[in-house]
Amino acid sequence: GAMRNRAEVDATLQTAKVNPAELLPVVHCLSFGPQAAAGECCLLQLEPGLCAEIEAGCSLVIRGEKDEQAVLCSKDKTYDMKIADTSNMLLFVPGCKTPEQLNADQESCNIIHSQIAGFSNNYWELRRCRPKLKKLRKLLMEDPYEGPDSRKDQASTFSKYTTEDLLSLIQASEEEILHHLQVIDACKIEGYWRILEFDYEMKLLNHVIQLIDSESWSLKKVPLRTCLEELGSLEPTAMIEHILLSYGRKYFDDAGEVYFEMHEDKICRAIAQMLLQNAVKFNLSEFQEVWQQSVPEGMTTGLDQLKGLALVDRSSRPETIFLLKVEDLPEGNQERFNSLFSIREKWTELDITPYIQDLCAEKQTVGALLTKYARSSMQNGVKVYNSRRPIS
Amino acid sequence: ATACLARSGSAGGLAEWVLVELQGEVEPRQSGGLAGSLLGDLHYTREGVPVLIVGHHILYGKVVQLEKPFAVLVKQGAEEPGPAGLDTCYTIAALIKTKLLFKTRPKPIITNVPKKV
Repeated sequence: GAMRNRAEVDATLQTAKVNPAELLPVVHCLSFGPQAAAGECCLLQLEPGLCAEIEAGCSLVIRGEKDEQAVLCSKDKTYDMKIADTSNMLLFVPGCKTPEQLNADQESCNIIHSQIAGFSNNYWELRRCRPKLKKLRKLLMEDPYEGPDSRKDQASTFSKYTTEDLLSLIQASEEEILHHLQVIDACKIEGYWRILEFDYEMKLLNHVIQLIDSESWSLKKVPLRTCLEELGSLEPTAMIEHILLSYGRKYFDDAGEVYFEMHEDKICRAIAQMLLQNAVKFNLSEFQEVWQQSVPEGMTTGLDQLKGLALVDRSSRPETIFLLKVEDLPEGNQERFNSLFSIREKWTELDITPYIQDLCAEKQTVGALLTKYARSSMQNGVKVYNSRRPIS
Repeated sequence: ATACLARSGSAGGLAEWVLVELQGEVEPRQSGGLAGSLLGDLHYTREGVPVLIVGHHILYGKVVQLEKPFAVLVKQGAEEPGPAGLDTCYTIAALIKTKLLFKTRPKPIITNVPKKV
Protein backbone atom coordinates (compact mmCIF):
# COMPACT_ATOMS: atom_id res chain seq x y z
CA GLY A 1 0.00 0.00 0.00
CA ALA A 2 0.99 3.64 -0.10
CA MET A 3 3.40 4.91 2.53
CA ARG A 4 1.98 6.72 5.49
CA ASN A 5 2.14 10.49 5.38
CA ARG A 6 2.47 13.08 8.11
CA ALA A 7 -1.24 13.80 8.21
CA GLU A 8 -2.01 10.16 8.92
CA VAL A 9 0.64 10.02 11.63
CA ASP A 10 -0.74 13.15 13.28
CA ALA A 11 -4.28 11.76 13.10
CA THR A 12 -3.14 8.62 14.90
CA LEU A 13 -1.45 10.71 17.57
CA GLN A 14 -4.64 12.63 18.10
CA THR A 15 -6.70 9.45 18.39
CA ALA A 16 -4.17 8.09 20.86
CA LYS A 17 -4.43 11.33 22.82
CA VAL A 18 -0.65 11.85 22.69
CA ASN A 19 0.45 15.47 22.76
CA PRO A 20 2.77 16.10 19.80
CA ALA A 21 4.45 18.87 21.75
CA GLU A 22 5.90 16.27 24.09
CA LEU A 23 7.51 14.37 21.23
CA LEU A 24 10.56 14.84 19.06
CA PRO A 25 9.46 15.94 15.61
CA VAL A 26 10.69 12.84 13.74
CA VAL A 27 8.53 9.71 13.47
CA HIS A 28 9.65 6.28 12.21
CA CYS A 29 6.89 4.51 10.29
CA LEU A 30 7.76 0.85 10.71
CA SER A 31 6.64 -1.68 8.15
CA PHE A 32 7.75 -5.17 7.27
CA GLY A 33 10.26 -5.40 4.46
CA PRO A 34 9.72 -7.76 1.53
CA GLN A 35 11.96 -10.49 2.97
CA ALA A 36 11.12 -9.99 6.63
CA ALA A 37 9.23 -13.24 7.07
CA ALA A 38 11.64 -15.31 4.98
CA GLY A 39 13.68 -16.19 8.07
CA GLU A 40 17.04 -15.71 6.41
CA CYS A 41 18.34 -13.33 9.06
CA CYS A 42 19.39 -14.49 12.47
CA LEU A 43 21.05 -12.90 15.47
CA LEU A 44 24.44 -13.77 16.92
CA GLN A 45 25.23 -12.38 20.37
CA LEU A 46 28.84 -11.21 20.48
CA GLU A 47 31.32 -11.77 23.27
CA PRO A 48 33.61 -8.86 24.24
CA GLY A 49 36.28 -8.30 21.66
CA LEU A 50 34.41 -10.00 18.83
CA CYS A 51 32.49 -6.83 17.98
CA ALA A 52 35.73 -4.88 17.63
CA GLU A 53 37.24 -7.68 15.52
CA ILE A 54 34.27 -7.67 13.16
CA GLU A 55 34.42 -3.88 12.85
CA ALA A 56 38.11 -4.19 12.02
CA GLY A 57 37.19 -6.44 9.12
CA CYS A 58 38.03 -9.88 10.53
CA SER A 59 35.98 -12.85 9.40
CA LEU A 60 34.57 -15.46 11.70
CA VAL A 61 34.13 -19.13 10.92
CA ILE A 62 31.65 -21.69 12.16
CA ARG A 63 33.11 -25.20 12.27
CA GLY A 64 31.58 -28.57 12.95
CA GLU A 65 30.76 -31.88 11.34
CA LYS A 66 27.24 -33.28 11.56
CA ASP A 67 28.08 -35.24 14.70
CA GLU A 68 29.76 -32.31 16.43
CA GLN A 69 28.33 -29.30 18.27
CA ALA A 70 29.08 -26.25 16.19
CA VAL A 71 31.73 -23.81 17.37
CA LEU A 72 32.53 -20.30 16.22
CA CYS A 73 36.15 -19.37 15.66
CA SER A 74 37.75 -15.96 15.45
CA LYS A 75 41.37 -15.61 14.46
CA ASP A 76 42.59 -16.90 17.82
CA LYS A 77 39.66 -18.03 19.98
CA THR A 78 36.99 -20.71 19.98
CA TYR A 79 33.40 -20.40 21.25
CA ASP A 80 30.61 -22.91 21.87
CA MET A 81 27.35 -21.93 20.14
CA LYS A 82 23.95 -22.41 21.70
CA ILE A 83 20.48 -21.19 20.79
CA ALA A 84 18.90 -19.00 23.43
CA ASP A 85 15.16 -18.54 23.36
CA THR A 86 13.46 -15.38 24.46
CA SER A 87 9.79 -15.05 25.24
CA ASN A 88 9.78 -11.76 23.38
CA MET A 89 9.83 -10.88 19.71
CA LEU A 90 12.98 -9.26 18.40
CA LEU A 91 12.65 -7.10 15.29
CA PHE A 92 15.75 -5.97 13.42
CA VAL A 93 15.37 -2.49 11.98
CA PRO A 94 17.89 -0.89 9.62
CA GLY A 95 18.04 2.86 9.47
CA CYS A 96 16.30 3.38 12.79
CA LYS A 97 17.69 6.28 14.77
CA THR A 98 18.00 6.69 18.51
CA PRO A 99 16.96 9.91 20.31
CA GLU A 100 20.62 10.97 20.56
CA GLN A 101 21.11 10.58 16.85
CA LEU A 102 17.91 12.52 16.10
CA ASN A 103 18.91 15.36 18.39
CA ALA A 104 22.30 15.55 16.78
CA ASP A 105 20.84 15.50 13.28
CA GLN A 106 20.41 18.83 11.60
CA GLU A 107 18.02 17.36 9.02
CA SER A 108 14.58 18.79 8.78
CA CYS A 109 12.71 15.71 7.61
CA ASN A 110 10.09 14.46 9.97
CA ILE A 111 9.17 11.01 8.65
CA ILE A 112 11.56 8.09 8.31
CA HIS A 113 10.11 5.03 6.61
CA SER A 114 11.93 2.08 8.16
CA GLN A 115 11.56 -1.43 6.86
CA ILE A 116 11.88 -4.26 9.34
CA ALA A 117 14.47 -6.63 7.83
CA GLY A 118 13.57 -9.63 9.93
CA PHE A 119 12.43 -10.88 13.28
CA SER A 120 13.15 -13.73 15.63
CA ASN A 121 12.38 -15.07 19.07
CA ASN A 122 15.80 -16.62 19.54
CA TYR A 123 19.47 -15.87 18.96
CA TRP A 124 22.86 -17.63 18.99
CA GLU A 125 24.68 -17.32 22.27
CA LEU A 126 28.47 -17.74 22.46
CA ARG A 127 30.60 -19.05 25.29
CA ARG A 128 34.40 -19.13 25.11
CA CYS A 129 35.59 -22.71 25.23
CA ARG A 130 38.76 -24.75 25.02
CA PRO A 131 39.68 -25.46 21.42
CA LYS A 132 38.86 -29.03 20.53
CA LEU A 133 42.37 -30.18 19.69
CA LYS A 134 42.37 -33.86 20.60
CA LYS A 135 41.12 -34.63 17.11
CA LEU A 136 44.17 -32.88 15.68
CA ARG A 137 46.57 -35.36 17.25
CA LYS A 138 44.22 -38.25 16.38
CA LEU A 139 44.25 -37.27 12.69
CA LEU A 140 48.03 -36.96 12.57
CA MET A 141 48.43 -40.28 14.37
CA GLU A 142 46.52 -42.03 11.55
CA ASP A 143 49.72 -42.03 9.57
CA PRO A 144 52.80 -41.14 11.63
CA TYR A 145 55.97 -40.51 9.70
CA GLU A 146 58.35 -43.44 9.99
CA GLY A 147 61.24 -42.02 8.04
CA PRO A 148 62.20 -41.86 4.36
CA ASP A 149 62.96 -45.57 4.17
CA SER A 150 59.48 -46.57 5.17
CA ARG A 151 57.68 -48.05 2.21
CA LYS A 152 54.38 -47.01 3.73
CA ASP A 153 54.86 -43.40 2.72
CA GLN A 154 54.80 -44.03 -0.99
CA ALA A 155 51.18 -45.06 -0.62
CA SER A 156 48.26 -42.69 -1.04
CA THR A 157 47.96 -39.32 0.58
CA PHE A 158 44.70 -40.47 2.10
CA SER A 159 45.47 -39.90 5.77
CA LYS A 160 47.63 -36.86 5.23
CA TYR A 161 46.52 -33.36 6.09
CA THR A 162 47.49 -29.92 4.88
CA THR A 163 46.92 -26.79 6.94
CA GLU A 164 43.70 -26.12 5.00
CA ASP A 165 42.48 -29.67 5.68
CA LEU A 166 43.09 -29.22 9.39
CA LEU A 167 41.35 -25.84 9.41
CA SER A 168 38.22 -27.38 7.99
CA LEU A 169 38.22 -30.45 10.24
CA ILE A 170 39.32 -29.13 13.64
CA GLN A 171 37.00 -27.12 15.85
CA ALA A 172 39.51 -24.47 16.83
CA SER A 173 40.79 -21.12 15.62
CA GLU A 174 43.72 -21.01 13.20
CA GLU A 175 46.08 -19.63 15.82
CA GLU A 176 45.12 -22.32 18.33
CA ILE A 177 45.65 -25.02 15.70
CA LEU A 178 49.07 -23.72 14.61
CA HIS A 179 50.15 -23.34 18.23
CA HIS A 180 49.12 -26.90 19.05
CA LEU A 181 50.99 -28.27 16.04
CA GLN A 182 54.09 -26.71 17.55
CA VAL A 183 53.33 -28.11 21.00
CA ILE A 184 53.04 -31.66 19.67
CA ASP A 185 56.24 -31.26 17.59
CA ALA A 186 54.47 -31.77 14.29
CA CYS A 187 56.40 -30.91 11.15
CA LYS A 188 55.51 -30.28 7.55
CA ILE A 189 56.75 -32.89 5.11
CA GLU A 190 55.94 -32.30 1.43
CA GLY A 191 53.18 -29.89 2.43
CA TYR A 192 51.50 -32.25 4.88
CA TRP A 193 51.58 -31.97 8.67
CA ARG A 194 53.11 -35.09 10.18
CA ILE A 195 53.86 -36.45 13.62
CA LEU A 196 56.93 -38.64 13.89
CA GLU A 197 56.40 -42.24 14.82
CA PHE A 198 57.89 -42.62 18.30
CA ASP A 199 60.52 -45.21 17.43
CA TYR A 200 61.73 -43.10 14.52
CA GLU A 201 61.80 -40.04 16.73
CA MET A 202 63.94 -41.92 19.26
CA LYS A 203 66.22 -43.11 16.48
CA LEU A 204 66.82 -39.49 15.44
CA LEU A 205 67.30 -38.35 19.02
CA ASN A 206 69.75 -41.15 19.61
CA HIS A 207 71.87 -40.10 16.61
CA VAL A 208 72.12 -36.61 18.10
CA ILE A 209 72.88 -37.86 21.61
CA GLN A 210 75.62 -40.18 20.32
CA LEU A 211 77.14 -37.34 18.34
CA ILE A 212 77.07 -34.99 21.33
CA ASP A 213 78.83 -37.68 23.32
CA SER A 214 81.48 -38.52 20.72
CA GLU A 215 82.23 -34.83 20.09
CA SER A 216 82.17 -34.05 23.81
CA TRP A 217 79.97 -31.03 23.20
CA SER A 218 78.34 -29.15 26.00
CA LEU A 219 74.63 -29.90 26.13
CA LYS A 220 74.11 -26.16 26.03
CA LYS A 221 76.01 -25.65 22.82
CA VAL A 222 75.19 -28.16 20.10
CA PRO A 223 76.13 -26.81 16.66
CA LEU A 224 73.54 -27.27 13.89
CA ARG A 225 76.04 -27.18 11.07
CA THR A 226 78.14 -30.05 12.38
CA CYS A 227 75.07 -32.14 13.18
CA LEU A 228 73.88 -31.81 9.60
CA GLU A 229 77.30 -32.61 8.23
CA GLU A 230 77.87 -35.66 10.42
CA LEU A 231 74.37 -37.06 10.40
CA GLY A 232 73.22 -35.97 6.96
CA SER A 233 74.25 -39.28 5.46
CA LEU A 234 72.12 -41.22 7.92
CA GLU A 235 68.90 -39.20 7.92
CA PRO A 236 67.26 -36.37 5.95
CA THR A 237 68.70 -33.03 7.07
CA ALA A 238 65.18 -31.67 7.61
CA MET A 239 64.59 -34.44 10.13
CA ILE A 240 67.86 -33.77 11.95
CA GLU A 241 66.99 -30.12 12.23
CA HIS A 242 63.45 -31.03 13.33
CA ILE A 243 64.66 -33.24 16.17
CA LEU A 244 67.03 -30.52 17.35
CA LEU A 245 64.17 -27.99 17.31
CA SER A 246 61.91 -30.41 19.18
CA TYR A 247 64.39 -31.20 21.92
CA GLY A 248 66.41 -28.03 22.11
CA ARG A 249 66.23 -24.27 22.19
CA LYS A 250 67.64 -22.65 19.06
CA TYR A 251 69.95 -19.64 19.39
CA PHE A 252 72.65 -17.75 17.52
CA ASP A 253 76.15 -17.04 18.71
CA ASP A 254 77.94 -13.74 18.01
CA ALA A 255 79.14 -15.03 14.67
CA GLY A 256 75.58 -15.87 13.63
CA GLU A 257 76.10 -19.63 13.88
CA VAL A 258 73.10 -21.73 14.94
CA TYR A 259 73.32 -23.68 18.20
CA PHE A 260 70.94 -25.61 20.36
CA GLU A 261 70.63 -25.73 24.13
CA MET A 262 69.22 -29.19 24.73
CA HIS A 263 66.14 -29.60 26.94
CA GLU A 264 67.31 -31.92 29.69
CA ASP A 265 63.78 -32.55 31.01
CA LYS A 266 62.31 -33.31 27.62
CA ILE A 267 65.08 -35.74 26.69
CA CYS A 268 64.85 -37.58 30.01
CA ARG A 269 61.09 -37.75 29.60
CA ALA A 270 61.31 -39.23 26.10
CA ILE A 271 63.76 -41.87 27.28
CA ALA A 272 61.44 -42.74 30.15
CA GLN A 273 58.58 -43.21 27.69
CA MET A 274 60.78 -45.46 25.60
CA LEU A 275 61.50 -47.62 28.65
CA LEU A 276 57.97 -47.64 30.07
CA GLN A 277 56.14 -48.52 26.88
CA ASN A 278 57.59 -52.00 26.89
CA ALA A 279 55.56 -53.38 29.78
CA VAL A 280 52.37 -52.81 31.73
CA LYS A 281 54.25 -51.61 34.81
CA PHE A 282 57.69 -51.58 36.35
CA ASN A 283 59.30 -51.91 39.73
CA LEU A 284 59.86 -48.25 40.59
CA SER A 285 63.38 -48.42 41.98
CA GLU A 286 64.59 -50.69 39.17
CA PHE A 287 63.08 -48.33 36.64
CA GLN A 288 64.73 -45.27 38.21
CA GLU A 289 68.12 -46.97 38.10
CA VAL A 290 67.85 -48.03 34.46
CA TRP A 291 66.44 -44.67 33.51
CA GLN A 292 69.31 -42.70 35.00
CA GLN A 293 71.79 -44.97 33.24
CA SER A 294 70.02 -44.48 29.92
CA VAL A 295 70.11 -40.70 29.72
CA PRO A 296 73.06 -38.71 28.33
CA GLU A 297 76.03 -38.04 30.54
CA GLY A 298 75.47 -34.91 32.59
CA MET A 299 71.66 -35.21 32.71
CA THR A 300 69.76 -35.97 35.91
CA THR A 301 66.47 -37.83 35.93
CA GLY A 302 63.63 -37.05 38.33
CA LEU A 303 60.02 -38.17 38.67
CA ASP A 304 58.87 -34.56 38.27
CA GLN A 305 59.86 -34.88 34.63
CA LEU A 306 57.17 -37.51 34.13
CA LYS A 307 54.05 -35.50 35.01
CA GLY A 308 51.21 -36.39 32.67
CA LEU A 309 53.25 -39.26 31.23
CA ALA A 310 53.54 -41.83 33.99
CA LEU A 311 51.92 -42.60 37.33
CA VAL A 312 53.60 -43.98 40.45
CA ASP A 313 51.73 -46.44 42.63
CA ARG A 314 53.00 -45.95 46.15
CA SER A 315 50.46 -48.31 47.67
CA SER A 316 51.79 -51.44 45.99
CA ARG A 317 54.71 -53.44 47.43
CA PRO A 318 57.14 -52.95 45.81
CA GLU A 319 56.21 -49.50 44.52
CA THR A 320 55.54 -49.49 40.79
CA ILE A 321 55.33 -47.06 37.90
CA PHE A 322 53.36 -47.31 34.67
CA LEU A 323 52.77 -45.30 31.53
CA LEU A 324 49.67 -43.07 31.56
CA LYS A 325 49.65 -40.34 28.94
CA VAL A 326 47.25 -37.44 29.43
CA GLU A 327 46.83 -37.10 25.65
CA ASP A 328 45.34 -40.61 25.55
CA LEU A 329 42.57 -39.65 27.96
CA PRO A 330 39.11 -38.31 27.00
CA GLU A 331 38.75 -34.62 26.15
CA GLY A 332 35.44 -33.89 27.87
CA ASN A 333 35.55 -32.96 31.56
CA GLN A 334 33.16 -35.60 32.92
CA GLU A 335 34.59 -38.32 30.68
CA ARG A 336 38.14 -37.42 31.77
CA PHE A 337 37.27 -37.69 35.45
CA ASN A 338 35.37 -40.95 34.90
CA SER A 339 38.41 -42.35 33.15
CA LEU A 340 40.81 -41.25 35.89
CA PHE A 341 38.64 -42.64 38.67
CA SER A 342 38.33 -45.97 36.92
CA ILE A 343 42.13 -46.15 36.78
CA ARG A 344 42.54 -45.23 40.43
CA GLU A 345 39.79 -44.83 43.01
CA LYS A 346 41.38 -42.10 45.13
CA TRP A 347 43.81 -39.43 43.98
CA THR A 348 45.84 -36.81 45.76
CA GLU A 349 45.75 -33.33 44.24
CA LEU A 350 49.45 -33.64 43.43
CA ASP A 351 48.95 -36.83 41.42
CA ILE A 352 45.79 -35.78 39.60
CA THR A 353 46.77 -32.22 38.66
CA PRO A 354 48.89 -33.09 35.59
CA TYR A 355 45.95 -35.13 34.28
CA ILE A 356 43.33 -32.38 34.57
CA GLN A 357 45.37 -29.21 34.13
CA ASP A 358 44.50 -28.98 30.46
CA LEU A 359 40.78 -29.00 31.25
CA CYS A 360 40.92 -25.63 32.97
CA ALA A 361 39.01 -22.94 31.11
CA GLU A 362 40.28 -19.37 31.02
CA LYS A 363 40.75 -18.30 34.65
CA GLN A 364 39.56 -21.65 36.02
CA THR A 365 41.71 -23.44 38.60
CA VAL A 366 42.39 -27.14 39.20
CA GLY A 367 40.77 -26.66 42.62
CA ALA A 368 37.56 -25.46 41.00
CA LEU A 369 37.50 -28.50 38.73
CA LEU A 370 38.02 -30.83 41.67
CA THR A 371 35.21 -29.17 43.59
CA LYS A 372 32.89 -29.68 40.67
CA TYR A 373 33.77 -33.18 39.54
CA ALA A 374 35.12 -34.93 42.63
CA ARG A 375 34.42 -35.50 46.28
CA SER A 376 37.18 -35.10 48.84
CA SER A 377 37.92 -37.08 51.98
CA MET A 378 40.87 -37.69 54.30
CA GLN A 379 42.93 -40.84 54.07
CA ASN A 380 45.83 -41.38 56.47
CA GLY A 381 45.96 -37.67 57.14
CA VAL A 382 46.15 -36.83 53.44
CA LYS A 383 43.35 -35.21 51.43
CA VAL A 384 42.24 -37.44 48.57
CA TYR A 385 39.65 -37.10 45.81
CA ASN A 386 37.29 -39.73 44.51
CA SER A 387 34.37 -39.90 42.15
CA ARG A 388 31.07 -38.21 42.95
CA ARG A 389 29.19 -41.08 41.42
CA PRO A 390 29.59 -44.88 41.49
CA ILE A 391 31.94 -46.07 38.78
CA SER A 392 30.72 -49.17 36.97
CA ALA B 1 32.18 -28.67 7.53
CA THR B 2 32.71 -24.95 7.72
CA ALA B 3 30.41 -22.02 7.46
CA CYS B 4 32.11 -18.76 6.79
CA LEU B 5 30.84 -15.52 8.31
CA ALA B 6 32.15 -12.76 6.17
CA ARG B 7 31.47 -9.09 6.48
CA SER B 8 29.28 -7.45 3.91
CA GLY B 9 31.49 -6.14 1.15
CA SER B 10 30.42 -2.52 1.62
CA ALA B 11 33.28 -0.06 1.41
CA GLY B 12 32.18 1.99 4.36
CA GLY B 13 31.82 0.84 7.93
CA LEU B 14 29.45 -1.94 8.93
CA ALA B 15 25.82 -0.77 9.15
CA GLU B 16 24.29 -0.37 12.56
CA TRP B 17 20.70 -1.46 13.02
CA VAL B 18 18.42 -1.24 16.01
CA LEU B 19 16.58 -4.05 17.79
CA VAL B 20 12.95 -3.52 18.73
CA GLU B 21 11.86 -5.95 21.43
CA LEU B 22 8.16 -6.55 21.86
CA GLN B 23 6.09 -8.92 23.91
CA GLY B 24 4.00 -11.49 22.12
CA GLU B 25 4.06 -12.58 18.53
CA VAL B 26 4.02 -10.89 15.21
CA GLU B 27 1.00 -11.77 13.11
CA PRO B 28 -0.12 -10.34 9.82
CA ARG B 29 -3.25 -8.30 10.09
CA GLN B 30 -4.25 -8.89 6.52
CA SER B 31 -4.41 -12.28 4.90
CA GLY B 32 -1.79 -11.22 2.38
CA GLY B 33 1.08 -11.93 4.75
CA LEU B 34 3.60 -9.78 6.46
CA ALA B 35 5.64 -8.31 3.63
CA GLY B 36 4.89 -4.64 3.14
CA SER B 37 2.37 -4.41 5.97
CA LEU B 38 2.64 -1.66 8.53
CA LEU B 39 3.70 -2.37 12.09
CA GLY B 40 3.18 1.07 13.55
CA ASP B 41 4.56 4.51 14.29
CA LEU B 42 7.61 4.91 16.48
CA HIS B 43 7.98 8.23 18.31
CA TYR B 44 10.31 9.47 21.00
CA THR B 45 9.34 11.88 23.76
CA ARG B 46 11.56 14.88 24.31
CA GLU B 47 13.08 12.94 27.21
CA GLY B 48 14.06 10.17 24.79
CA VAL B 49 11.40 7.62 25.79
CA PRO B 50 10.35 5.53 22.79
CA VAL B 51 6.60 5.41 22.15
CA LEU B 52 5.20 2.83 19.73
CA ILE B 53 1.66 3.00 18.39
CA VAL B 54 0.68 -0.41 17.01
CA GLY B 55 -2.87 -0.76 15.79
CA HIS B 56 -5.05 0.18 18.71
CA HIS B 57 -2.31 -0.05 21.27
CA ILE B 58 0.21 2.39 22.61
CA LEU B 59 3.42 1.10 24.15
CA TYR B 60 6.05 2.93 26.16
CA GLY B 61 9.56 1.57 26.21
CA LYS B 62 13.16 2.45 26.92
CA VAL B 63 16.40 2.72 25.00
CA VAL B 64 18.90 0.11 26.16
CA GLN B 65 22.58 0.04 25.22
CA LEU B 66 23.40 -3.64 24.79
CA GLU B 67 26.18 -5.01 26.96
CA LYS B 68 26.71 -7.69 24.34
CA PRO B 69 26.04 -6.36 20.85
CA PHE B 70 24.50 -8.58 18.18
CA ALA B 71 25.66 -9.36 14.67
CA VAL B 72 22.90 -9.86 12.12
CA LEU B 73 23.68 -12.89 9.95
CA VAL B 74 22.10 -13.34 6.55
CA LYS B 75 22.27 -16.76 4.92
CA GLN B 76 23.58 -16.74 1.39
CA GLY B 77 21.58 -18.59 -1.23
CA ALA B 78 23.96 -21.43 -2.16
CA GLU B 79 22.60 -24.92 -1.50
CA GLU B 80 25.54 -26.59 -3.20
CA PRO B 81 29.03 -26.41 -1.70
CA GLY B 82 30.89 -23.25 -2.67
CA PRO B 83 34.31 -23.04 -4.33
CA ALA B 84 36.26 -23.44 -1.10
CA GLY B 85 34.21 -26.45 -0.08
CA LEU B 86 32.15 -24.43 2.38
CA ASP B 87 28.71 -25.78 3.01
CA THR B 88 27.06 -22.51 3.99
CA CYS B 89 27.94 -18.89 3.81
CA TYR B 90 26.57 -16.12 5.92
CA THR B 91 27.33 -12.46 5.66
CA ILE B 92 27.34 -10.18 8.64
CA ALA B 93 24.88 -7.59 7.40
CA ALA B 94 24.95 -5.30 10.40
CA LEU B 95 25.77 -4.84 14.05
CA ILE B 96 23.17 -4.03 16.69
CA LYS B 97 24.33 -2.11 19.75
CA THR B 98 21.03 -0.59 20.85
CA LYS B 99 17.60 -1.98 21.52
CA LEU B 100 14.22 -0.39 22.11
CA LEU B 101 12.61 -2.51 24.78
CA PHE B 102 8.83 -2.41 25.08
CA LYS B 103 7.99 -4.43 28.13
CA THR B 104 5.03 -2.51 29.52
CA ARG B 105 1.60 -3.83 28.76
CA PRO B 106 0.18 -2.03 25.75
CA LYS B 107 -2.44 0.51 26.59
CA PRO B 108 -5.45 0.10 24.35
CA ILE B 109 -6.52 3.16 22.38
CA ILE B 110 -10.22 3.70 22.72
CA THR B 111 -11.38 5.18 19.46
CA ASN B 112 -15.11 5.20 19.59
CA VAL B 113 -17.21 5.41 22.69
CA PRO B 114 -20.79 4.86 21.63
CA LYS B 115 -23.13 7.52 23.00
CA LYS B 116 -25.80 6.33 25.32
CA VAL B 117 -29.11 6.47 23.71
